[in-house]
Amino acid sequence: MERQDGKISANEECRAENGESEKDSDWFISQETPQGATEEEVTAQWKPGEPVTPQQVLRLNGYTEDYLCLPEDNIYNINFSRFKIRDLASGAVILDIKKQCPTEIQDVIKPDVNRFIQYHFSPAFLTLKEIGATLEFTVGNRALNRFRLIERHFFRNVLLKTFDFEIGFCIPYSRNTCEHIYFLPDLEPQTVEDMIANPFETRSDSFYFVNNKLVMHHKAEYSFTADTQTDVSCQNGNE
Amino acid sequence: MSVKMEVDISGVSRAHVSILPATEIKVAGYQILHMDSNYLVGFTTGEELLKLAHKLSESSPEKSMLSEAVPSPIQTLDVSKSLDSSIHRSSRIFKAKSRYYQPYDIPAASGRRRRRMPSSSDTFLRSVTQGEHGRLPLCLLKGKRTQSKSLDYLNLDKISIKESSDTEVLQYQLQHLTLRGERMFTRNKT
Repeated sequence: MERQDGKISANEECRAENGESEKDSDWFISQETPQGATEEEVTAQWKPGEPVTPQQVLRLNGYTEDYLCLPEDNIYNINFSRFKIRDLASGAVILDIKKQCPTEIQDVIKPDVNRFIQYHFSPAFLTLKEIGATLEFTVGNRALNRFRLIERHFFRNVLLKTFDFEIGFCIPYSRNTCEHIYFLPDLEPQTVEDMIANPFETRSDSFYFVNNKLVMHHKAEYSFTADTQTDVSCQNGNE
Repeated sequence: MSVKMEVDISGVSRAHVSILPATEIKVAGYQILHMDSNYLVGFTTGEELLKLAHKLSESSPEKSMLSEAVPSPIQTLDVSKSLDSSIHRSSRIFKAKSRYYQPYDIPAASGRRRRRMPSSSDTFLRSVTQGEHGRLPLCLLKGKRTQSKSLDYLNLDKISIKESSDTEVLQYQLQHLTLRGERMFTRNKT
């Protein structure tokens, strides 16, 4: 997939200045509707057996309290094997973790119990502007068509930003590496203070779609406290 | 927004893998290759949070909850703060108990509808969310139950439900029936 550079902004005027268009659906940040919808309203419209669509999750006006799909809905056996985040300005790798699993791709659908994670960041993380997140994932015996990630970050019930990445097509039995560039939003100083003072009230929903059908839903909570009391044994230190 | 993609059909990763240091850390099925503590102090998976919550609920009040319950070195001391900080949010769980933890009434064989009886899991949940260090994200508490708004399509009248003195067993069976019913519809659609 070709690398596309572009400044992302939810502001239409800014996008127009950059020559961006709503038709460029591969990389634009989806506009969240001004009215939005609660999780209950979206699920009330959902009918049993029907998949959740990107349009439905883009209407959500808050972090969901429950998962919108089952682990078993990952019928494509998408398995994340490695995750890395780095600061693009300095090149510093912030986190690089690898899942302990066999090298060969095993086409066995395993319910992913780890759909939730809490990150304990330092306040310095909020000063970063561009983050590169590299995902390595394997695919089972079914090809992925229009594999898409929509990630929505909230502080309490305020939407900070929506990220929309269309990963595209992935062939069966493949191991794929994909880096997403997150342009972090400019936050008001008071908002930053509030986020630091209220750990884990900054949260995100990551919705993964294949052919516009929700197949995975991961959730995360974030802390940005200045707590320096850390377990020295767990630190890898800087390199 | 930029996306860079690399594909290897042989299944072998082309991504650069740093040489593992002798002090590599393994946590809950993950291998931490690098972590910059200037920006990231630690992380905790949902599985670890659940284990911690179980241990906290089982441990006596006199014992130190953190010293016994921390399952991995990657959990920092601010886990207790994270457990405390959202207790106001978790208290809403029990205020809305009828919604989250009694999603349906259990139909008795006699046709009379019964209310879900408190189970051991309720005790655990209460101790976790009302205790000093009690706090779990709601998505973990709800578990796998999702989008289960109606049992209509299960045709319960066609299912023989044995009278069981153990209400929890019956509840467990109904929950699994719900999930199987949803999967049946999902597969038919795909």
